[in-house]
Amino acid sequence: MADRREYEVFEVFVRKKKTDAHVHVGSLNAPSPDIALTTARENFLRRENAVNLWVVPRGEIHETPCDEGDWFARELDRKYREVSGYSENGRLWKTYRERALYLEEIVQDLHPPSQGNRPRPRRERT
Amino acid sequence: MNQDARHAQFMERIERGEKIEATDWMPDEYRKLLLKLIHMHGVSEIMGAFPEKEWVPKAPTLKRKLAIMAKVQDEMGHGQLLLRVAEDLAAPLGKGREELLDDLLAGRVKFHNVFHMESPTWADAGVIGWLVDGAAIINQAALLDTSYAPYARVLKRICAEESFHMQHGENIILTLARGTKGQRQMLQEAVDRWWESLLFFFGPVEVTPAAQRMIDYRIRIKTNEELRQQFLNKYVPRIRSLGLTIPDPHLRYDEKQKKWLYTQPDWEKFGEIVRYNRGPKSEERIGLRRFAHEEQRWVREAMVRAHKMQAV
Repeated sequence: MADRREYEVFEVFVRKKKTDAHVHVGSLNAPSPDIALTTARENFLRRENAVNLWVVPRGEIHETPCDEGDWFARELDRKYREVSGYSENGRLWKTYRERALYLEEIVQDLHPPSQGNRPRPRRERT
Repeated sequence: MNQDARHAQFMERIERGEKIEATDWMPDEYRKLLLKLIHMHGVSEIMGAFPEKEWVPKAPTLKRKLAIMAKVQDEMGHGQLLLRVAEDLAAPLGKGREELLDDLLAGRVKFHNVFHMESPTWADAGVIGWLVDGAAIINQAALLDTSYAPYARVLKRICAEESFHMQHGENIILTLARGTKGQRQMLQEAVDRWWESLLFFFGPVEVTPAAQRMIDYRIRIKTNEELRQQFLNKYVPRIRSLGLTIPDPHLRYDEKQKKWLYTQPDWEKFGEIVRYNRGPKSEERIGLRRFAHEEQRWVREAMVRAHKMQAV
């Protein structure tokens, strides 16, 4: 076992678009990082497009224990961190004849879908 | 914690529908059953590329050549993904990829009966893509909910690519079915050649003790016979709609029992083929695999050495 001729295990991460994060897709065996990158392209990108690949020797990855759910336990109700924790806004706005504003609406207004299926602008209240 | 308590805790996880990871504690029996299944699945993908690879140089058009080449490459890719999963299971037993592949060459691991058989005509290439892949897809799709998470993840990727294989196989046989009398004849002969192998592919009707243990551990959920019935449901009407005959005069759907009745394949004959690699093409294809494995060993070793020297 002194001089193992076996390949090393690399974990593979793919970035599909410049605006996406790298996503783990699996692992492979390779003798070096160079060959690992080529093998990753052959094993994981025969059809899908990508803009960048990471290969990381498995030993360099640090992870949380897999079978200890406690590590991710949520002892408190975290509704106060969530959109859903503020559902009363809609009801409260009714008093003022308005409605709650959501991020999705702002994004949609700033990035309208392409011509043709663009939604008609909402009639402003006067 | 003693072994019994650990085992009981593990079974509780399984029964809650939890997924097991490679680094989790698992009973030896679970590890060995999984390893046997995934090792066999992995080498079957690799050996499965051989009958089709034989048709790469002889494909009838350039488009067909590219498509079948892509498929051969997919099968090899699937083999690599599956062996990777098997290696992580085998590591505590002191085995790596070299040993897992040596097992194939030494006949210590079986591969699917269908890949021991001949594919003498282009219609065989089509029937492999259509019916052999069709059977394999039913098998693999049934495993998508397996309790072993690394296997489930790899199967998801494999099944996504199999959907291309399904269309690829169907396209070849649809073209032949609409072709000349000679082409239709060739297609019928290929169906005749493959039918019995396809029934055997799903394994024995009775639930063996090992199969029952795999069901207990939720490694697999369906029995062999359930999967074979699913195959017959999907494919018998399609084969018949093309005007092809299935070479089994006793094949019929029994409304009362709500299942297909069929002539049993020759269990003994195919059993020997997979156990002792005694199929018409077993030796030749394993020989090719051995040639690739041994003749390229120096390349693998040189690459490892080159990287080590660079790292110094």
